[in-house]
Amino acid sequence: MRSVAAVATLVLLSELLVGARAGGQNPPAAGAAARPTMNPLEGNRDAIQNGGAMFRNRCAGCHGPDARGYLGPDLTGLWASGWTDDRIFTVVRRGVPGTEMPAADPLRAPDRDIWQILAYVRSLGGGVPVAPPAGNAQNGERLFRTNCSTCHMVGAQGGQLGPDLSRIGSGRTRTALAKKVRGDAAYTRPGYEPVTLVTRDGQRIRGVRKNEDEFSIQIMDMRQRLQGYLKANLADIVDEQQSVMPAFGADRLSDGDLDDLLAYLHTLRGS
Amino acid sequence: MRLTVAFVLGATATLFAQQTAPQVTFQDLRNGLDDPTRWLTYAGNYASQRHSPLTQITPQNVNRLTAQWVFQTDTPGKFEAAPLALDGVIYVTGPEDTGWAIDARSGRQIWRYRRDVVSGVIACCGRVNRGFGILGDRLFKTTLDAHVVAISTKSGAILWDAVMENYKNGYSGTTAPLVVKDKVIAGMAGAEYGVRGFVDAYEAQSGKRVWRFYTTAGPDDPGHRTWRGLDAKAWEHGGGSTWTTGSYDPELNLVYWGTGNAGPDYYGNEREGDNLYTASIVALDADTGKLRWHYQFTPHDVWDWDSTQVPVLGDLTLAGQPRKVVMFANRNGFFYVLDRATGQLLRATPFITTSWAKTIGADGRPQLLPGNMPSEVGTRICPDQSGGTNWMSPSFDPSLNLLFVTARDSCGVFYTWKDDYEPGLAYRGGAVQRITEGHHAALRAIDVTTGARRWEFPYAAQSWAGVLSTASGLVFAGSSGNFMAFDSRTGKNLWHYQTGSPLYAGAITYMLDGRQYVLLPSGTTLTAFALPESTAERQ
Repeated sequence: MRSVAAVATLVLLSELLVGARAGGQNPPAAGAAARPTMNPLEGNRDAIQNGGAMFRNRCAGCHGPDARGYLGPDLTGLWASGWTDDRIFTVVRRGVPGTEMPAADPLRAPDRDIWQILAYVRSLGGGVPVAPPAGNAQNGERLFRTNCSTCHMVGAQGGQLGPDLSRIGSGRTRTALAKKVRGDAAYTRPGYEPVTLVTRDGQRIRGVRKNEDEFSIQIMDMRQRLQGYLKANLADIVDEQQSVMPAFGADRLSDGDLDDLLAYLHTLRGS
Repeated sequence: MRLTVAFVLGATATLFAQQTAPQVTFQDLRNGLDDPTRWLTYAGNYASQRHSPLTQITPQNVNRLTAQWVFQTDTPGKFEAAPLALDGVIYVTGPEDTGWAIDARSGRQIWRYRRDVVSGVIACCGRVNRGFGILGDRLFKTTLDAHVVAISTKSGAILWDAVMENYKNGYSGTTAPLVVKDKVIAGMAGAEYGVRGFVDAYEAQSGKRVWRFYTTAGPDDPGHRTWRGLDAKAWEHGGGSTWTTGSYDPELNLVYWGTGNAGPDYYGNEREGDNLYTASIVALDADTGKLRWHYQFTPHDVWDWDSTQVPVLGDLTLAGQPRKVVMFANRNGFFYVLDRATGQLLRATPFITTSWAKTIGADGRPQLLPGNMPSEVGTRICPDQSGGTNWMSPSFDPSLNLLFVTARDSCGVFYTWKDDYEPGLAYRGGAVQRITEGHHAALRAIDVTTGARRWEFPYAAQSWAGVLSTASGLVFAGSSGNFMAFDSRTGKNLWHYQTGSPLYAGAITYMLDGRQYVLLPSGTTLTAFALPESTAERQ
């Protein structure tokens, strides 16, 4: 059992620490404790290690040991889907009313603990590369428009057969992106699993699965039309192993062009 | 003048009759579903069979089943309750400590009950509630802040409010109480927070606690020797919560109740031994709460396999002998048949793919297979933490000797680490990582005399739906939001209706004005189904 005095000291220390790191960029409101809007401990090795230990004890039971979700949601994609440090911190502090997600009592979980946990979660797969990758982002953007934007949206431009990549730079490592482009990634995001429907008259319809139950399936077909089918009208539903995204091997995209493309993707962090 | 006197006298007589004739007696509860206009306990009758004698809706006409009305709870959260039906009124609880009386004919609200959920309530797995108990003119309900309350059937007004335990220490209430004689028997939740589990009985009249049975054996209990190891006080925060309603045998006067996981969930190094009476079924004297017998399904549970499933009572002929049994499809993946007078194990067979044990030995203990303990680096174990089934009620058709159970084959990677107990904080000592491949969910029919699978209907996704069966040869269950009807002999799907939300409860059924209704909680709705009036009249 921790003593109250020790906890109080920790809170004070952490607030001083966090406040000091916040510097002048985020002046505290009158009467409110200073709290930065960006994680002052992001990328800090000690913080990631401590955060990992705290995550296991306080969060992993619901969110899974790898933060990819179990009873609670997957946390690794939060930043990629547009959440800010500040918003995530606020949810952890206040909890989510009406759900199992509890509020974090400041006496038991001072700000510094939360920042350390956030640093850990962000370091899991979905972490940002520390240094921007080499490559010419301008050429990468041109390559993207030629090869990718038919299926992927950036901003409000592009297709929607594949995931929106407007924030992919803050959500995936360079290695993970390179694997995906080269066709080496096994993981397909839910909602984009490849599937082929075979109708009773033998027609084959390829697309990505949006939803499914015992009696129906909903897909986006390769012409990017949302379609629903009753299973009673289908002869077969084939779960494909091969992603609908073509693999861009070295014959289609040179190593140099891949570097350029990754440099461009790295710049995509939302507006 | 004479008219006025007659009116006053008449009104007084009516008032007197209303005040003196309680709506529901203990005998009514004993009668279970014999009166088909009523559904008065969590699982329909004391045997918890969820099997109705009603036959208006049949395999031949169920495809004409049609929604008659929808009641909107306007309360998000998992709708896990079993509604009660009484004399044309539905009584049902919702998440967030809510409840309603609803006109069963029209779906219109009569009254609404809401208890403000205090800040700081901890509920590991949803701020849910599984339903009311009823006796006389009173409903009984557990609350998220670990109280038991009595509520007037007439108005929703609180008649008494009894504290079970301090919610700040992780205790909560989600169980539908079971009313036996003049007592309200209630369970609690919280084994993810280092609670000490119990089953309580309260006087229905006053709310005074009559007895308590602790599910972790204290020093004055012979089971205490099953708590050994570094943590001498492990039993004080050893879990064993009681969050699903039990059953009752009036002849033996025994209450049967399932108990939850030992705590911390995945870290057992400091609580060596079997950790009685966690992950068990206990048979308690209904008058005193004294333990008559127990059977532990998962000794020294380190997999979070709560045995908080519904114990189903039945009278079977096994090996030519008539046996009074309790049947239990357990989260650990085995289907058990026990003698309900003695607790003797009669048969145990896996109803899903299990890796931790393949058989239960003649001594009643699982034959553990090596390599199935949670570890620091993670161990793949089947079933996963959510188990082969869970709280969702099975149903039992005695004419077919079939138990219908929502089942799932799944595996998880179990991690463990040391955890220190602090009141009110999560106390799990590990976690489980989801494995999506190989997951298979289904409705399964188990022949209870052999343990063999008679049929299954595969689901597209994991289901949390309870099951209802009827004497006409139907089974109602569901998944992925689909409410479905099956032929109970073959498992053939006969009808479905997409409700728009995953199902967390089972349907109930009752007769009203000559029509059989099937009532299903789903999402924020309660939907009443029936055959079109013309079809119902022809039956």
